[in-house]
Amino acid sequence: MRLSISHDTTYQYDEQVRSSIQYLRITPQQSERQQVINWELNLPRPVRAQRDPYGNILHVLTVDVPHDNIVIGAHGQVDIDENCEFEHESQSALPFLRVTRLTEPSQALREFASIQCKTRRDRTAMIDLMQALNAHIRYEKGVTSTETSAADAFAAGRGVCQDHTHAFLACARSLGVPSRYVSGYLYTDDSDHLASHAWAEAWLDDAWYSFDITNNLTLPERHLKLAVGLDYLDACPVRGMRRGGGGEQMHAHVDVSSMFMVQAQ
Amino acid sequence: MTHTFYDEMYLANGECRSHYREFTRWLADTPSDLLAQRRREADLLFHRAGITFTLYGDDQGTERLIPFDIIPRSIPASEWRIVERGCIQRVQALNLFLTDIYHDQRILKAGIIPPEQVLANEGYQLAMQGLDLHRNIYSHISGVDLVRDGDGSYYVLEDNLRTPSGVSYMLEDRKMMMRLFPELFAAQRVAPINHYPDMLLDTLKSSSPMENPTVVVLTPGRFNSAYFEHAFLAREMGVELVQGADLFVRDDKVYMRTTAGAKPVDVIYRRLDDAFLDPLAFNPDSMLGVPGLLASYRSGNVVLANAVGTGVADDKSIYPYVDEMIRFYLAEEPILKNVPTWQCRKPKDLSHVLANLPDLVVKETQGSGGYGMLVGPASTKAQIEEFRARLIARPEAYIAQPTLSLSTCPTFVENGIAPRHIDLRPFVLSGRETRLVPGGLTRVALREGSLVVNSSQGGGTKDTWIVGD
Amino acid sequence: MLSTTASNLYWMSRYLERAENLARMLEVSYSLSLMPQDDHGNGLDELAMPLIITGTLDEYLEQHGEMHAERMLNFFGLDANNPASIYCCLQAARTNAHAVRGRITADMWENINASWLEVRDIAQQGIARYGISHFCEWVKERSHLFRGATFGTIMRGEAYRFIRLGTFIERADNTLRLLDARYELLGEDIDEIEGRSARSYYQWTALLRALSSFEAFAEIYRGSPGARKVSELLLLRTEVPRSLRSCTEELYSMLTSLPGDNGRPAQRLAAELEARLRYTTIDEVLDEGLHTWLNDLILLIRELGQAIHSSYLEVA
Repeated sequence: MRLSISHDTTYQYDEQVRSSIQYLRITPQQSERQQVINWELNLPRPVRAQRDPYGNILHVLTVDVPHDNIVIGAHGQVDIDENCEFEHESQSALPFLRVTRLTEPSQALREFASIQCKTRRDRTAMIDLMQALNAHIRYEKGVTSTETSAADAFAAGRGVCQDHTHAFLACARSLGVPSRYVSGYLYTDDSDHLASHAWAEAWLDDAWYSFDITNNLTLPERHLKLAVGLDYLDACPVRGMRRGGGGEQMHAHVDVSSMFMVQAQ
Repeated sequence: MTHTFYDEMYLANGECRSHYREFTRWLADTPSDLLAQRRREADLLFHRAGITFTLYGDDQGTERLIPFDIIPRSIPASEWRIVERGCIQRVQALNLFLTDIYHDQRILKAGIIPPEQVLANEGYQLAMQGLDLHRNIYSHISGVDLVRDGDGSYYVLEDNLRTPSGVSYMLEDRKMMMRLFPELFAAQRVAPINHYPDMLLDTLKSSSPMENPTVVVLTPGRFNSAYFEHAFLAREMGVELVQGADLFVRDDKVYMRTTAGAKPVDVIYRRLDDAFLDPLAFNPDSMLGVPGLLASYRSGNVVLANAVGTGVADDKSIYPYVDEMIRFYLAEEPILKNVPTWQCRKPKDLSHVLANLPDLVVKETQGSGGYGMLVGPASTKAQIEEFRARLIARPEAYIAQPTLSLSTCPTFVENGIAPRHIDLRPFVLSGRETRLVPGGLTRVALREGSLVVNSSQGGGTKDTWIVGD
Repeated sequence: MLSTTASNLYWMSRYLERAENLARMLEVSYSLSLMPQDDHGNGLDELAMPLIITGTLDEYLEQHGEMHAERMLNFFGLDANNPASIYCCLQAARTNAHAVRGRITADMWENINASWLEVRDIAQQGIARYGISHFCEWVKERSHLFRGATFGTIMRGEAYRFIRLGTFIERADNTLRLLDARYELLGEDIDEIEGRSARSYYQWTALLRALSSFEAFAEIYRGSPGARKVSELLLLRTEVPRSLRSCTEELYSMLTSLPGDNGRPAQRLAAELEARLRYTTIDEVLDEGLHTWLNDLILLIRELGQAIHSSYLEVA
C-alpha cells in the first residue's frame, strides 16, 4: 500500500516566545517493511538530520529569535509491505528489558501478565496478552495524558493507544520479553484517514513483531512507523521546550491518500 | 577475613608503626590545651569559609560542617605505590570495559559477563552505543573507595565513575593542616596534593580534540549537597561555574550566556546525573539540565566529563566482574582485591545470603550514599527481617558481602583519642595518561563501632599523608 | 562573564548597599525621635519615617496594628519575614555572594558570610537589647569592611565593575529618596527650607550625617544647612561620594569600560544622565521644583537599572 502524506502542525503562542527547541522524530526510515519514496520536512529554518539513541531520524530545531508561532510540515510518500510480519535488527534487544517510569509494572500488571502467559514466552502468549489488555483497558479519550503511567492506566481501566502500549510493555518486560514503543501514523477508513498512533514491538525469535493493542492487530498493514524507544518520551514525534510564550494552541492539518501498489509482473 | 581490626598507627604489641613515629612524638610533645585550641580554630575556619555540605532529606537545606579530625591518616610511600598502581589498573580496565560495551561488546560475546547484566542495566545508555569518544575515555574522574581488612590488605569497596565527590575536602583538609600545624610539615616530607586542580583542568582539556577548549563546571545549584565543591573546583581551575539555565543549545552547539553575548562551550565537567542532563532526552521534569545537550553531545560538538552511561560500570551488580575485566582487557592480574560478593539474583547466592544475613552487608545494586543498605552485625532482628522481605521480593536489586573489619585510626572524640574506622577514596584522573595525586580523601566513622563513613551518616574526614617509609 | 554571575555580583552589592542605607535611615530617625518633639511628643512619627520611605508602613500596620517603637524598629531592622528589613537585605546579599563565591575573593566571602552569621545572633537578641545605635553602627561597619575587602582584594575586572554598578545604582536611588523625604517633611515652610528654624537645622543636619556628608558640608559651605545648599551638595557636587553626581559619574565610567556592544542602551542612558547633571545648576533644579525633579531622577535611575538588567544580567 502506498501512503501519500501531508501533515502540517501549527503551534500558536499567546505571547512572544523568546527561544524554543524541539526534538522532532517525524521522518520515517527505510526498512524491510516500509520503503520511503520521498519525504521532506518544512521547518522554520534548515536543520541537519541525525540519529537519536534508538536509531530514529532526529531533527533538532532551535529558534532563538522571538516568535509567536511555529509551523512544522512533513510531506512524502511511503510504500508499506502489508504482508511483512516482522523486522530484523542487528543491535541487541536486551536494552528493551529496562523499566522506565511510564512502563514500571505494578504488582497488578505483573500478575496480569503472568496469568495471561504462564510460562509461555512466544508470539501466541504475546497475542493473548495483547487481547487481554485490549479488553481490560477500554479505549477512551481524555481520561489519561502523556504523563499517565502504565500502572495508573491499567488501574483505571481506561486509556488510549499510548496507555495500551505502555501497559503491554510493562507486562512483556516483566516476563523477560524485550519490547519497545513505536510511534507513527495509522491509515484508517474514517473521514480523517490518518491518525498519529502508537503500538508495540516485542522481540521474539530474533525479530521485532508488532502488536497494535488498541486495534488487536498483529499485522501492521496500515501502520507507518516513525520512531521507536523505551516509552512515549523516547519515541514521541515532537518533544520541545520554550522560554516565554504563555499558553499554546496546536492545530494539525492532515491530508492523506492511499493507493494499492500496482505490482509489476 | 578476620574480625580483628587493623590499626593504622599501632602494631599489635602497642608499638607505633614507623611511618607514624614522627607524628606521635609531636603529639606527645604538644600540650593538650593547644591541640584543643587548634581544633576549635579549625572548626571556626571551616565555618567561616563555608566549607559545608547539604543533607539530603532535610527540608531546610541546612548546611553542615563535615567534622574534621586533626590526626592525619598516614600511608607509607611504598604501600602507596601499590595502591596507586592498583587504582590506575582498575580505572584503565573500567574505561576499556565501557568502550567495549558501547561498541563491539567483546566481553559479552566472550561469555565473561552475561549480556543482560550489562545491556538491561539501568546505567547502560543506548545513547552511547556506537558513539566514539576522544581517547576512548568515559570516566575522566573516578573515585575508588578502598578499605583495609584485618590483615591490612586493601580491598576496593566500589568504583565511583559517575560524579565522585569529596576531592575538595581532600584539598581543604590539607590546607587546614598546613595552616594549623606548619611545624609538622617542616619536620617530615608529606607528598603534595595541591596541584590536583591543575591536573584536573589538564585532564578536562585533554578530553577534547580541540587545541584550547573552553571548560565549564556544571552544577545542579546551591542546594546540591556538593555545591561547595563545584564552586571550589571551578574557582581553583579558573573556569566558569554554570547551571543549566546559563547554557543553551543552538544548532547542536552549546553556548553560555555571558555579559558579552553567547560564548561557545567545549567541555562540560558536569556534576549532574545522566537523568537530569537534557530534559528533552531524559527526565522531562529536570529543570537542572540543558535542552538539546544530548543531541549536541552525540554530534560530537561538546565533551561531557564524565561521559554519559558510566553508571553501568560502577553498578554493584557489575562490580564482581572487575577482576575479570582486568584480566580480559589488560592481561594482568588485579593488584587490588575485590570484596567477595554474592549476587542475590543467583538463586544459590541468594539462599546463602538469606541464611547468613546477620553476618553480611547487603547493598542495593543501584544505591549509593549508604542509604539502602543493611549492616548485619550492627542491625536489630527486626531490621534484618525487614531486609529479608525486601530481598525475597526483589533479589536482583541486591548484592551481599561479608562484613569487612575496616581499619581504624586514632581520632579525637569526646573523651580524648580513640580508634575509629576509616576508608580511603583516591581520585583517579584519565586523560592523556591515567594518574592521581598522592593521597585521597580519608573518611572516618565518628560513632564508636560504626562502619559507615558517609558524611550524610555522621562521618568526618582526615588529611591523608603519603610519607617516607 | 556569565550573565547570572554578573547578576549575583550586582545584587550582592546592591543589597549590601541597601542594608547600609537602611541603617543610615534608621539612625537619623532614631536620633531625631529622641529630640524634643514640637507637636506630638513621642517621636513615633519620626520612627515611622523609614517605613514610609521604604513603603512598608502599611504592611507593618497590618501585622502589628499600631505604631509601637520597639516593634517598628524590629520590623525594620531584624524581621526575617519583612523582605525589606536590614536582616533580609543581609541575607539576600549573602545568598547572592554564595552563588558566586568562586568569583569573589575569600576575604570578601568570609566577610559577608560572617556578617550574616552575626546578624542572625543579633536577631536572636532583639534590636532593643543589642542597642539601636549600636546596631546601625554595626551594619555600617560591616558594609565598610566589605567595601574595604572588595577594594583591597578583587581584581579590577568585570566582576569589580558589576559590583560597583550595583552599589551606585542603589546609592543614587537612596540619596534621591532620602532627600525627597526630608524635603517633603519641611517643604511647606519656607523658613524651614531656608534653614532658619531649630527644627530644620536638626533635620538637615541629621540628613547630612546620615549620608556622611556633614563634614563636607561644613567645609564647603560654612553656614547652617538649608534646602538649596544641601540639595546642591547631595545632587550636584562631585566631591561627596554619596551625591547623585558622584553616583552617575561612577555608573557612566563603569558602563563605558564594560566589553561588548550589547550594553549600548545602558551606556547611552548613563551618558545622558551624567551629562544632564554635569550641566545643571541648583537654581534650575529648584526652579523646576525639587520634588518634581527628584522624582524624575528616581525614574531615570530606575530606567538605567532596567537597562543594565536587560543588557547584561538577564538570562536572555
